Amino acid sequence: MTPKERVMNTLEKGRVDRVPAFSGMGNVTVAGMRKHGIDFASSHTDAELMAKLACSTYELFGFECAVVPFDLCVEAEALGCGVNFYAGKSSILYPTIRSKVLSVGEELSIPEGLLERGRIPLVQEAISRCGERLNGEVAVGSYVLGPFTLAGQLIDLNDLLKSSFKKPEQVKALLEQLVEPLAEIASAYAESGADYITVREMGAPSDVISPRMFKTLVQPYLKELISRIKAPTILHMCGDTNMLVEMLHECGASAISVEQKNDVAATRQKLGEEAVILGNLDAYGVIVKGSPADVEHSVKQAIDAGVDGVMPGCDIWPEVPEENMHALMRAVAKYGAR
Amino acid sequence: MEEKEQLLEQMRKAVIEFEEERVKELANKWVELGYDANEAIFEGLAAGMEVVGELFAKNEYFVPEVLMCADALYAGLDILRPHIKAEDKTETKGVVVIGTVEGDVHDIGKNLVKLMFEVAGFEVHDLGKDVPLEKFVEEQLRTDADLVCLSAMMTTTMPGMKKVIEMIRERNPNVKIMIGGAPVSEKTVEMYGADATGKDAASALEEAIKMVSSLREMKRKKEI
Repeated sequence: MTPKERVMNTLEKGRVDRVPAFSGMGNVTVAGMRKHGIDFASSHTDAELMAKLACSTYELFGFECAVVPFDLCVEAEALGCGVNFYAGKSSILYPTIRSKVLSVGEELSIPEGLLERGRIPLVQEAISRCGERLNGEVAVGSYVLGPFTLAGQLIDLNDLLKSSFKKPEQVKALLEQLVEPLAEIASAYAESGADYITVREMGAPSDVISPRMFKTLVQPYLKELISRIKAPTILHMCGDTNMLVEMLHECGASAISVEQKNDVAATRQKLGEEAVILGNLDAYGVIVKGSPADVEHSVKQAIDAGVDGVMPGCDIWPEVPEENMHALMRAVAKYGAR
Repeated sequence: MEEKEQLLEQMRKAVIEFEEERVKELANKWVELGYDANEAIFEGLAAGMEVVGELFAKNEYFVPEVLMCADALYAGLDILRPHIKAEDKTETKGVVVIGTVEGDVHDIGKNLVKLMFEVAGFEVHDLGKDVPLEKFVEEQLRTDADLVCLSAMMTTTMPGMKKVIEMIRERNPNVKIMIGGAPVSEKTVEMYGADATGKDAASALEEAIKMVSSLREMKRKKEI
């Protein structure tokens, strides 16, 4: 079975020979950067470098996917936000939004020709180059933000969160407006060859907003977005999701992905055997800072708790020790047989 | 109930229920009656915020509610602060440098911790968000701060804190360093060589007060 078949069958709840280890989010490594002589800051603005780097985690370690882009600013940039790429910095820094474009209550004007703006064409190009490079043997993934998280990129977060309470109707109007561009971008990625699309709604766990607010303000637009993406989808949320998993599942994605704060065994019990649950390795504390034995233990724990796919709970921090990536893949082979 | 006690109780309640206008009204009344501003800040505003912290810990309040409570508290603080008695002003609890590390543009948690420091009478130097790492070292030296507080909201920006800690320790091993943010745990404190973390703004403040008093103790001993 090829890694791609393993991943796609997992998302479609088909038969697999073993649990796959892959991600819906960033998973590039310093080892990959060294291999190709790429510095992180320039990989965000060059399709060839982006594709090479994205494929390197599979090529070096056998981690079963290639995911582009690596940052969370692509959609906001296309909608007019300035981005800081931290060019010239020697340390690894992910791009951030430099300037917000909106406040709550203001009308967002979605620019004409959205798909031609910012780095959307570049990400599409990188997706198709990943496909060529991996010859259809390995799944290519991409992601978009969820509407609420994207709103947090466009608007000052203080303003968004307080308005979610004080002026929910205005926030809802904005989220409603963001569904269309996000669906368009995700569909463009799928057309360029992305085998699966992750929707990252990390701004809305119950560490931040109440489950009640999630239900009225976040869930309706997630549902709508996911229903409009014509590719297998993963709904990812980090933070505390124990109170939210049923609602996440109802959003209708092919799979949900959770982090280490989620009690996967309990989630499996709540959602039943049919749900596809991915997770829930600690992307930093264990994969980067743990020993190979810790990594092995965590993989075993996740599989025992009932994940269908072993996935880090967030982007892997690039300075991951190479032996830990190898340990991760060995552990999946050892404990993941089906 | 005595009028003063009643006012404090109302102030606490108004902070908890994030009634900004009500807090302003009560603070003005307090000042008009000539009561001690410091007492209202601690026994009214801060005591209310403490309950807010508990409601947050119990999952009754979430971040939006806490932000609105903080706004209410600030509204009261703005009115009361100019009326703090001179003898209460001279003794600051300590000097703090605070900021979110480079690569991270989240500042909600940092701002809440900052608020608690201000309320408690610390002199706070806020570097903001996305702060270049060297800037923390420079600011600590410039202000001779007792305490440096670093915040990171994402796994991907947390490692920057380790570098700042190393740089500060190299120059000035006695400074106390506190780290915070969603991905930070007791284990991170140990791994990075920091002094403490707090699971919320109130416990961060508690830790900070402990650390600064131990630092002062140390300084006093040196002087003797």
